[in-house]
Amino acid sequence: MGRSLIGPRIRERRRALGLTQADVAAKACISASYLNLIEGNKRNIGGTLLQRIAAQLGLAVDDIDGAAERRLLDDLEELAGEALFAGLQLNRSSASELASRHAPWAHALIALHRSWLDRNRAVDALSDRLTQDPRLADAVHDLLTKASAIRSSSEILENVHDLEPAQRARFASIVGSNSRKLADVAQALAAYFDSTHADARSNTPVEELDDFLMERDNYFPELERVAAEFRVAAGIEGDCGDGELLAFLERRHSVQLRVQAAADLQPGLDPRDFAYDPVARTITIADSAPPASRRFALARTATALHDDGRSIAAELGRATALTSDMARRRAERALSSYLAAAVLMPYAAFRDAAIRSRYDIEYLARRFLASIEQVCHRLVTLRRPGESGIPFGLLRVDAAGFVTKRFALPHLSLPRHGNACPLWAAYGAFQALGAVVRQLAEFPSGDRFLFVAQTVEKARPTFAMPRRLLSIMLACNVLYADQTIYGDGLSTASSAGIVPVGTNCRTCVRRACAYREEDPIIDA
Amino acid sequence: MAVRILIVEDDSHLVESLTFVLEREGFEVRAAIDGEAAMRHLRFDPPDTMILDVMLPLLNGFEVLKFVKSDPVLKSIPVIVLTAKGQAHDRQMAETIGVEAFMTKPFSNRDIVDAVRHLTARA
Repeated sequence: MGRSLIGPRIRERRRALGLTQADVAAKACISASYLNLIEGNKRNIGGTLLQRIAAQLGLAVDDIDGAAERRLLDDLEELAGEALFAGLQLNRSSASELASRHAPWAHALIALHRSWLDRNRAVDALSDRLTQDPRLADAVHDLLTKASAIRSSSEILENVHDLEPAQRARFASIVGSNSRKLADVAQALAAYFDSTHADARSNTPVEELDDFLMERDNYFPELERVAAEFRVAAGIEGDCGDGELLAFLERRHSVQLRVQAAADLQPGLDPRDFAYDPVARTITIADSAPPASRRFALARTATALHDDGRSIAAELGRATALTSDMARRRAERALSSYLAAAVLMPYAAFRDAAIRSRYDIEYLARRFLASIEQVCHRLVTLRRPGESGIPFGLLRVDAAGFVTKRFALPHLSLPRHGNACPLWAAYGAFQALGAVVRQLAEFPSGDRFLFVAQTVEKARPTFAMPRRLLSIMLACNVLYADQTIYGDGLSTASSAGIVPVGTNCRTCVRRACAYREEDPIIDA
Repeated sequence: MAVRILIVEDDSHLVESLTFVLEREGFEVRAAIDGEAAMRHLRFDPPDTMILDVMLPLLNGFEVLKFVKSDPVLKSIPVIVLTAKGQAHDRQMAETIGVEAFMTKPFSNRDIVDAVRHLTARA
């Protein structure tokens, strides 16, 4: 459209401001009759003249030359293309009229269209979930099979007149027992829909935990204090090995470690998980659990027994951000891990080693007999005022790209759900299993971050199952890069070699990105 | 010699009533309660007609059907697949592999007897 709208726009705006053609023309150094021709769309206008007139009318050239309307028109055209409106003969010229005369209405239509598309997408996702949910399919199948059994047996009772008394009793009992089972299945199905409903809101507990950790800057001085006190009580001076923890558990709490063959674990139990039985006073852990996981399990149990869970309960008591039980349980688990990490990687010693090694995560893992994931987690907690480390953000993604853990930073937005930007080092790490991958990344805002990622492998249930790989990524503002070994040799002073990234496709404005797989929600 | 039917269904009550109904019609009936048991029957004592549920423990109905329809000897055995209403995808899948008839749960005894008669008469 462009030109066809410029004239009327100028006229409309001029009148709205209560100006005459002569007023505006004089200030724009043209004759009133020439302005009249422009307003009547009988003369082309552009360049500096357009700028002068726009300035007189207090408008941006973008508004007046139609760039904004062109975008609006493109959006309206997309809307007109919906099959829903096929019979309405919506065309570009009437769209142009709407855009020029009633721009706010056109914007309202576009906003409605977008939210309608979003809802449709959500509905599609939900219906995918329903058709693919194995529990639902099982329940429906069960329901119909029980109904078949009832129908078949009752037809026998009804139609076969020479049934023996024993046969009659048998089929009557089949009808009876299946009717009861049918009721059970129906109830389970009803309960399932209830829980599906609950699941639909279950993003909230994760978000609540996120908010809680952010609010506290992921640093809990009281837990650090309890951890230090525990180390004194357990007589741990330097590094804390299994031996010290086991001795403490046995001496103070008569708790023993029971190592169980992975093959004997109950099915479904993660080989890295552990179980504490307060009655038998045993900690059971799989013989296949990596040493770091075993030590972490011992530390979690020992610290929980040491202060009877009081310190964590106190933190939770202060946490107003946690409203649901689910969020509180998640937070409890997160804080119990925090406490164990604070025992195994004591604040001052860990910070010191981190600074001296320039945040070499592989060195820190060896030095503290910890896993890479545990080290990355601990680095994120070095936020003690006056004695902090580099502020790091943390992200963990699975092989499907899904974000499974996150701790954001100011100006570093990490996606809450779904996938992050495919260009991130977190994904690049999957191309170099086990190796540390670094990257200088620049966001559309111009903020630059150093990304450091490494894959970690968790035990898989059986050989036949795929390898369980996760990628852990640390992120820090590029200004801190020189304090880490990962900044060595990277030119942080120029933009050469910097990877242009976003948060994820849906929110990213880099339209021409070769890696784009999904359109942005909002066209920029 | 009586026509032999193999019912592959994991619900024992449904198996019991179907067996009763089909035996009264003069068929010789055997049953398998999971996919692997069905395979054993098919290998060692193949039936004349098979009634096959889709959702089975161990090996599902499609896997059993695929085994039957890709075996040069067994593929002539007519198969009635039991499905649930609305499971268009299941039907499509069974049709792709090869199936003689569908029966939608919950069916009546008459329907299943008629279907079995129709298929065995054809064979």
